[in-house]
Amino acid sequence: MAEPILKVNSVTKCFGGLTAVDDVSFSVEKGEIVGLIGPNGAGKTTLFNVISGYYAPTKGSVIFQGNDISGKPPYHLAGVGIGRTFQVVKPFAGLTVLENVTIASFLKHPKKADAERHAWQVLETTGLADRANVSAAGLTLAGRKRLEISKALALDPSFLLLDEVVAGLNPTEADRTVELIMKLKAQGLTILIVEHIMRVIMNISDRLVVLNFGKKIAEGTPSEVSSDPHVVQAYFGEEAA
Amino acid sequence: MKNRGATILAIIGAALLILPLVMHDTFVLRVLTEGIMWIGLAIAFDVIAGYTGYLNFGHGAFFGIGAYTIGILMMQANLPFWAALPLGGVAAGITALIAGIPTLRLKGAYFAIATWALSRAIQQLALNVEFTGGPDGMRLEAFLNPQFFYYLMLITVGVIFATLWYLLERAPFGLKLKAIREDEEGAKALGLNPTKLKMQSFILSALPTGILGGIYAYWITFIDPSSTLGDLVSDQAVVMVVFGGMGTLFGPALGAILIFAFKTLFWAYLSDFQLLYLIILGALIAISVIFIPNGLWGTMVKRKAGATRPEQKAEPASEPAALSAVAAPEEGN
Repeated sequence: MAEPILKVNSVTKCFGGLTAVDDVSFSVEKGEIVGLIGPNGAGKTTLFNVISGYYAPTKGSVIFQGNDISGKPPYHLAGVGIGRTFQVVKPFAGLTVLENVTIASFLKHPKKADAERHAWQVLETTGLADRANVSAAGLTLAGRKRLEISKALALDPSFLLLDEVVAGLNPTEADRTVELIMKLKAQGLTILIVEHIMRVIMNISDRLVVLNFGKKIAEGTPSEVSSDPHVVQAYFGEEAA
Repeated sequence: MKNRGATILAIIGAALLILPLVMHDTFVLRVLTEGIMWIGLAIAFDVIAGYTGYLNFGHGAFFGIGAYTIGILMMQANLPFWAALPLGGVAAGITALIAGIPTLRLKGAYFAIATWALSRAIQQLALNVEFTGGPDGMRLEAFLNPQFFYYLMLITVGVIFATLWYLLERAPFGLKLKAIREDEEGAKALGLNPTKLKMQSFILSALPTGILGGIYAYWITFIDPSSTLGDLVSDQAVVMVVFGGMGTLFGPALGAILIFAFKTLFWAYLSDFQLLYLIILGALIAISVIFIPNGLWGTMVKRKAGATRPEQKAEPASEPAALSAVAAPEEGN
């Protein structure tokens, strides 16, 4: 297989005395969907923040397309092709949906008219075009999660980090988002996704990486991971294992 | 709608241009010159305060630095006015650059306090060093030609307005600044460098303010630390912009016209009660924040009609075309 698009090498992230991510290594191949799962507080979002440049790793490195990107600022990483969403959504509330996405489109389309045209196309793909002129503050939760994806996509990324884009949606909305993610995969995008809803993550992921208390406890296909005793123990406790 | 706005602007511009030819009252011309100056100060202040979301309570310092730079260069270095004027803007811009490095790391009230303190420090500096004339101020070579200053102010503010209009409303820059205002962390993920954008915005706000300060100094011919570096310049700019409507260009202009008209009338009829003027300014800012948080202009226009979907007027963007624009590789459904 070719060089992996993303390599996480022994990444450790400490906050004072707390080790949120502890010596985690894994890699993501081009075109696959890798799910990052684990109980609450396992360090998933912290790891996301390290990969997307919001935190510098305390130890270890992150290699993206052969380049060491550890500690590079997020706006630099957006430029090299990493798009991300936020678990706690970050809409530009005072601006319209279209303006929100246009701002991301500026990265590849410096002219305003081009950026707006591109933003429209992204909104068509994500199904938000009808709401384009609505203030972002006026969107429902489902809409705001979709806006997060739209903004990340407007960067024309090669690698997408999705942080709980399904959680909190009703089943119909969740299915639409899953459909969208599969569509993006079919377009050749590589995706690393954090999700709590097992029905979703088991279905869409090619491989899973499981974290618990900051450590990687398992890695493999969804069926391998779901029968792994460490994973069962982490989720259901000692006796179940 | 857009064309009508442009027509109205053109008519106002033309009226202002021919006004001195038919109107020879020096007092009226003087009031108009200062009113136009305040429009310039308010829109320049709005770049950092309204568009970028950093309430700068030291805006007056840039005005004073511009005024003093022109004064010092003309009176002590014997530079002609036209050579000194751009340097007033440059001095204000450099001050913004240096002041911005520590202060733009702060947010909200902390930024407001830091910039206010900085402007107080600059005022104290002007009071205590030799080359500014200290508390006695500085007298510039008098050039008494009201028409000249009216036109100079009008053209300068016109150019400032047009430049800011292009940068903030037409070019991507304005939208990027608004992204910083709305969510700095979120903006980073979209490829925006907040430190750089905030600095650019601060300098873009300071530079025209310094130039206006320079014109003011040459026009009024006398500057001292309380008139050009005092609180009043900053405070009035804040009230004009908040009352008129932050994050737009017309809002601050409207606010400037109304507040300045009020100030002029107040000064004309109630000049014994200057403290009352400040109290009214304070009350006005509180009232506008509570009752019209979007300012007069923002409340008037509400939300613009909005852009139209491109395919409604042109080619229907087919699904695969839309998708391939999102992810570069060829489709593979």
